[in-house]
Amino acid sequence: MSVVANEIADERPIAVQIQGVDKWFGSFQALRQIDLDVHKGEKIVICGPSGSGKSTLIRCINRLERHDRGTVVVNGIELSDSARAILDVRREVGMVFQQFNLFPHLTILENCMLAPRLALSLSRAKAEALAMRYLARVHVAEQASKYPAQLSGGQQQRVAVARALCMEPRIMLFDEPTSSLDPELIKEVLEVMEELAADGMTMICVTHEMGFARRVADRCAFMDQGQIVEIAAAKPFFEAPRSPRLRAFLAQILH
Amino acid sequence: MTFDLALALHSLPVLMHGLIVTIALAACVLVLGMMISIPMALARTSRHKPIAWAAAAYVLFFRGTPAMILLFFVYFGFGQVFGARDGFLGALFSNAFLCAVIGFALNHSSYVTEIVRGGLQSVPRGLVEAAAALGIEPRDVFLRIRLPLAIRYGLKAYQNDVILLTKATAVVSIITVVDLTGAANAVFYDTYDPFTPLLTAAVFYWVLINAIRVGLSRLDAWLNVHLAADERRDLAIQIRTEGLAPALPAGQLGEAAE
Amino acid sequence: MPAMLLHDLIGYLEQLLGGAVITVELAVSGYVLALSVGVTWALLRQTRNRVARAIVLGVWRVYASIFMSVPSVLVLFLFFFGGGTLVGALCGLVGLKARVDVSPFVAGLAALTIVQGAYSAEVVAGAIRNVPRGQFEAARALGIRPYQAWWYVILPQVARLALPGLVNIWVSVLKDTSLVALAGLNELVARSRTAAGATKEPFLFFIAAALFFIVFSSVTLKLSSRLERRLDRGTARPVAAGRGA
Repeated sequence: MSVVANEIADERPIAVQIQGVDKWFGSFQALRQIDLDVHKGEKIVICGPSGSGKSTLIRCINRLERHDRGTVVVNGIELSDSARAILDVRREVGMVFQQFNLFPHLTILENCMLAPRLALSLSRAKAEALAMRYLARVHVAEQASKYPAQLSGGQQQRVAVARALCMEPRIMLFDEPTSSLDPELIKEVLEVMEELAADGMTMICVTHEMGFARRVADRCAFMDQGQIVEIAAAKPFFEAPRSPRLRAFLAQILH
Repeated sequence: MTFDLALALHSLPVLMHGLIVTIALAACVLVLGMMISIPMALARTSRHKPIAWAAAAYVLFFRGTPAMILLFFVYFGFGQVFGARDGFLGALFSNAFLCAVIGFALNHSSYVTEIVRGGLQSVPRGLVEAAAALGIEPRDVFLRIRLPLAIRYGLKAYQNDVILLTKATAVVSIITVVDLTGAANAVFYDTYDPFTPLLTAAVFYWVLINAIRVGLSRLDAWLNVHLAADERRDLAIQIRTEGLAPALPAGQLGEAAE
Repeated sequence: MPAMLLHDLIGYLEQLLGGAVITVELAVSGYVLALSVGVTWALLRQTRNRVARAIVLGVWRVYASIFMSVPSVLVLFLFFFGGGTLVGALCGLVGLKARVDVSPFVAGLAALTIVQGAYSAEVVAGAIRNVPRGQFEAARALGIRPYQAWWYVILPQVARLALPGLVNIWVSVLKDTSLVALAGLNELVARSRTAAGATKEPFLFFIAAALFFIVFSSVTLKLSSRLERRLDRGTARPVAAGRGA
């Protein structure tokens, strides 16, 4: 059951539609009856305490986790056990991980070129041009021939964003992208994410960065114990939280 | 108990021939072993219980059995059954060298299977997820991400195994293959001087094993160029681009510090 | 005839058992000696005295280089064929006259000790190296005397860290006893070959011999896992990554 406040009618097409999704890990229910529609170009920030199911939810969108009940539809493709459907969805959806997950044995450039060459069958030249373009966009073009271990955390995460963008996805998922970074490196990654948002990318972010959420999010969702407890436009979410749990959470986070 | 230099020099041709047999034997075993191990490692981690179980049994049996028994097994066992017959199997099992290759490969592959399996399991899950999330197909995820990284993780263990294998080949004279040790023994039997040929053979082995060590160290540096700290990385990049081994003082390629 | 054949087979299997006993005797004594040599080397390598350290490390490098780069069989042969003369020469230096024949068992024991001793030394020294610096410092800060610190704090941790490597060495020693057959020791593998030749039943006897080694090493591996788990109690386990955050 969710408490919805001030929902403005959104005429844009729906990019991600999640209906009635349940997920269990063994006997533990991680997601309870999740309903969420994400519109094209919308930026959604999901927050909540540890173990609330935030990561599980976005990982269900690109099938890194398998939902047990309900439906997940991404850009018109329904996620099922079909390998074809899964691959198609993953080419529409890019993901940035908390641990960066850059391929250590490949250079930065090769990291970005790999998926376009393998999954999109681009030629080496085209893939390289594409990769350099996105690396420039996240301001790490000069590091192209280095290996991940030679870069700072902030640089690595920006490369991770570029790598995901090289597949030219229509939707970007961010799973706590700055949680592993030293404080002084967080800003550069958030800036890249804000630029992406300004360019009109559909984004679903799990993050603790409330300042970012306030600046960038169209809507914010609060999850606790596997449910979306409250979802609202950013302003009312932060200034007039309806549910007591959200109020308590915000009080803790924004001390 | 003296070292007879004249005898040593005189027996060099015989010993060199034995050395070549040793190297050839080890090389064949390495190739055959790798061909068996990668599929076997995949079988070991398969979701089909019978396949995984069979692979586990393979590893258990051939890892726990001394190489000598395996040599006997192949040469006397299969040799007896197939050896007298015509055809491919007959030719295969009546050839002592090939029996030795098979016997050692059975043993060696069981170790390498575990090394590959360990390497595959050491690949962080996050990397595999990232590759999958990019829309890369499982087959390519395996070939471009999991396997290359597994090889790098397992390289040290594999190096050790190569050296152990080369040393293990020394018993092969038991099934009439004249390797370096067999050649040295032959000289001993002829001349009643145990020390000269055996010590000479020991020196040959020492040189061979250390050459292998150095060679594999360079391979390690080349493959792990992405990990190396600055001076080693520059060296590794140099090796990769120039392909030559620059002269190095000992110890610079990462031997254990005291 | 079939009855007699069965009788023969059983007789040979009993022979194998006798061989297995010899194998185990050689393996156990070889392992104990190798371990002693290894621990001694590892402890010697820890000395802080500059001169002693230089000498120890110098000798160690030569010793390790030789015996880790030469096949055990060759070392065995050198001891077996040349051992008698070697002992005689050594005694001659001291003025004694000795004519010693080295038995296969003794030659095998010497070879195993010297070669596996080098590997054991590496395992133990590596384990010592891997004990966190902080342990030494904490012991010192508490005012515990060096020798007590070693005995109560460091060595137990070394044992835990060295265990997997030492178990591997045990399995190596067990399997390497088969090499001594080449020097004439009538142990399990040698007897299996005799039996196979005599009865024309190679698979039966070779598999039986193989099973002995497999079962024996599996049992020791199981026991060592249990020991490892017991030694590991009290060590931090990595916090399981939380799901669904």
